[in-house]
Amino acid sequence: MNTFMRWAGFIVVLFIAAPLVIVVPMSFSNANSLQFPPPGYWLGYYRAYFTSMDWLIPTWNSILIATATTILTMALVVPATFALVRHKFRGKGFADLMMLMPMAVPHIVMAVGYYSYFGDLGLVHSHLGVILAHTCLSVPIAFLVLSANLKGFDRNLERAAQSLGASPAKTFLHVTLPILRPGLVISSLFAFIQSFDETVVAIFISGRDAETLPRKMFDSIRQEADPVIAVISTLLFVVVLVGIAAPYFASALRSRAPKPSRPAGAH
Amino acid sequence: MTNYLQLSNITKTYGHFTALDDVSLSVEKGEFVTFLGPSGSGKTTTLMIIAGFEKASGGKVEVGGQSISELAPHERNIGIVFQNYALFPHKTAVENVYFPLQMRGVSRSQGLRQAEDMLSLVGLKGFGHRHPKELSGGQQQRVALARALVFEPSLLLLDEPLGALDKNLREQMQIEIKRIQRSLGVTTIFVTHDQSEAMSMSDRIVVFEKGRIEQVAAPLDIYHRPQTSFVAAFIGESNLIPAIITSGAVRTAENPTLGAFQYAGEDALADGQKVTLLIRPEHIKLSRNPIEGRKNARMIVETIVNYGDNALVIGRAGDIPMRVRVLGADVVIIREGEECCISWAPDAVFVITK
Repeated sequence: MNTFMRWAGFIVVLFIAAPLVIVVPMSFSNANSLQFPPPGYWLGYYRAYFTSMDWLIPTWNSILIATATTILTMALVVPATFALVRHKFRGKGFADLMMLMPMAVPHIVMAVGYYSYFGDLGLVHSHLGVILAHTCLSVPIAFLVLSANLKGFDRNLERAAQSLGASPAKTFLHVTLPILRPGLVISSLFAFIQSFDETVVAIFISGRDAETLPRKMFDSIRQEADPVIAVISTLLFVVVLVGIAAPYFASALRSRAPKPSRPAGAH
Repeated sequence: MTNYLQLSNITKTYGHFTALDDVSLSVEKGEFVTFLGPSGSGKTTTLMIIAGFEKASGGKVEVGGQSISELAPHERNIGIVFQNYALFPHKTAVENVYFPLQMRGVSRSQGLRQAEDMLSLVGLKGFGHRHPKELSGGQQQRVALARALVFEPSLLLLDEPLGALDKNLREQMQIEIKRIQRSLGVTTIFVTHDQSEAMSMSDRIVVFEKGRIEQVAAPLDIYHRPQTSFVAAFIGESNLIPAIITSGAVRTAENPTLGAFQYAGEDALADGQKVTLLIRPEHIKLSRNPIEGRKNARMIVETIVNYGDNALVIGRAGDIPMRVRVLGADVVIIREGEECCISWAPDAVFVITK
């Protein structure tokens, strides 16, 4: 049984990892379309990616839109989360529901809605339109992460700070903010990734002027299956890998640093 | 001595619910006063009103003759130790203690030195660089105490600070808190639902029940001269026997089951008045036969709880449940289910009129 479970686990891992295993070698392929296994290897598609404005502009658009989406999302979500987690008021249940609604509605439905609505407002084919739509989609994710953090926050910490002489503003700055920082970082990160990753709404409303990377990749795979897609996938994979590994390396380095043999406070 | 902390007619209502009903209290400078009561009795609400985290619906709080009712919590200069300590997890022990000084504009080098000194006073010399999660419960407690004292607060409030500690550590911290409080002479309000804690630590105890103050007195007064049956039942073990005064002049009362009683006390009570008689379990003697010169009654023994050095004998005298505390050696004379004799002297009987 144990051996069987181990094999089953191995197969599942293999199945999940397969796309990554295939995409990386394909990015170094010299075939003129996506092909596995690659007939030969070169770095031409990397050069193509880094020199072609057709790819760099959508990349820049995606970074810009995701950054703006993150800022706007957090500006809305931080006050909203404090209000919804800490206070009771009329219509709180409804407000909670509205915060999470964009997550429940299929993206394609939202996309169609934005397409006609933003069309009337003249926001289609603009960065602003995509930012607004993506913010709407990021809000529930950021809200869920942050509200879970805030619910676990001990309010006695703020009371203690105030009793010790900190005004409400200083309490927020010295106590609330530093303690909630991991939650804020993670919910911002999720908001960013959500926007960077989003394809359906982008296809509908980003147009040529605000074309995002996922949209460009989708168009490319439909038309020519340009292996540059494999390059981008590999680069994104590396970014994520570094992002995950960095904290481990940092803590490993820190623990190797010599510890003081005597308590710092001892005289 | 003048009144240092003065609560005048404090009330607190939540909608139709009255959490505090006309609470007034004077505390002298340097005094250690305990708010004792069951949960929901209003003791913590009163503390939160003094601290400024709750707004009273009516009444006034004064410290040193100045009203603080209108001040925000951070303007009150009151140190608080919370039940869960509420240490800042992202700061080290010494930074936690430095925090109130930082808020008061003390420079970092001087403030950290002062914080270290305060940590030494609470017995944590050399632990300053640790984060709260690297400290034991008792050590966190000491850091919280140091943090609440380092800025020389006008009042120290302790909100059930020992609740999370195990028994041995709790007793150790009781002694420690008393020592520190005495050495600094800081006026202290201590909230607890643990009566033994209240008895051992306080100069005076304030007993809360249902949003009202039942009694304010020194620990031994509370124990020996409770003014209400609630206080008698809440503090220590008690036998409460309903009775009617038969003659206030010669201090006799009667209970239908136990017959006539002699009682001690100075108050002249009206004949026919309904009262409750309090007899503490340790003032009752257990014997095979009646003892002359004492009030005797027969008791059926139901349960014996043995603590080693002493035992609690629970039984019934007629329809009245009785508890008797006996020394360990005495308990060998009886078995559960047997009938025996219980007796007490007149001065063991205290009359409660409320």
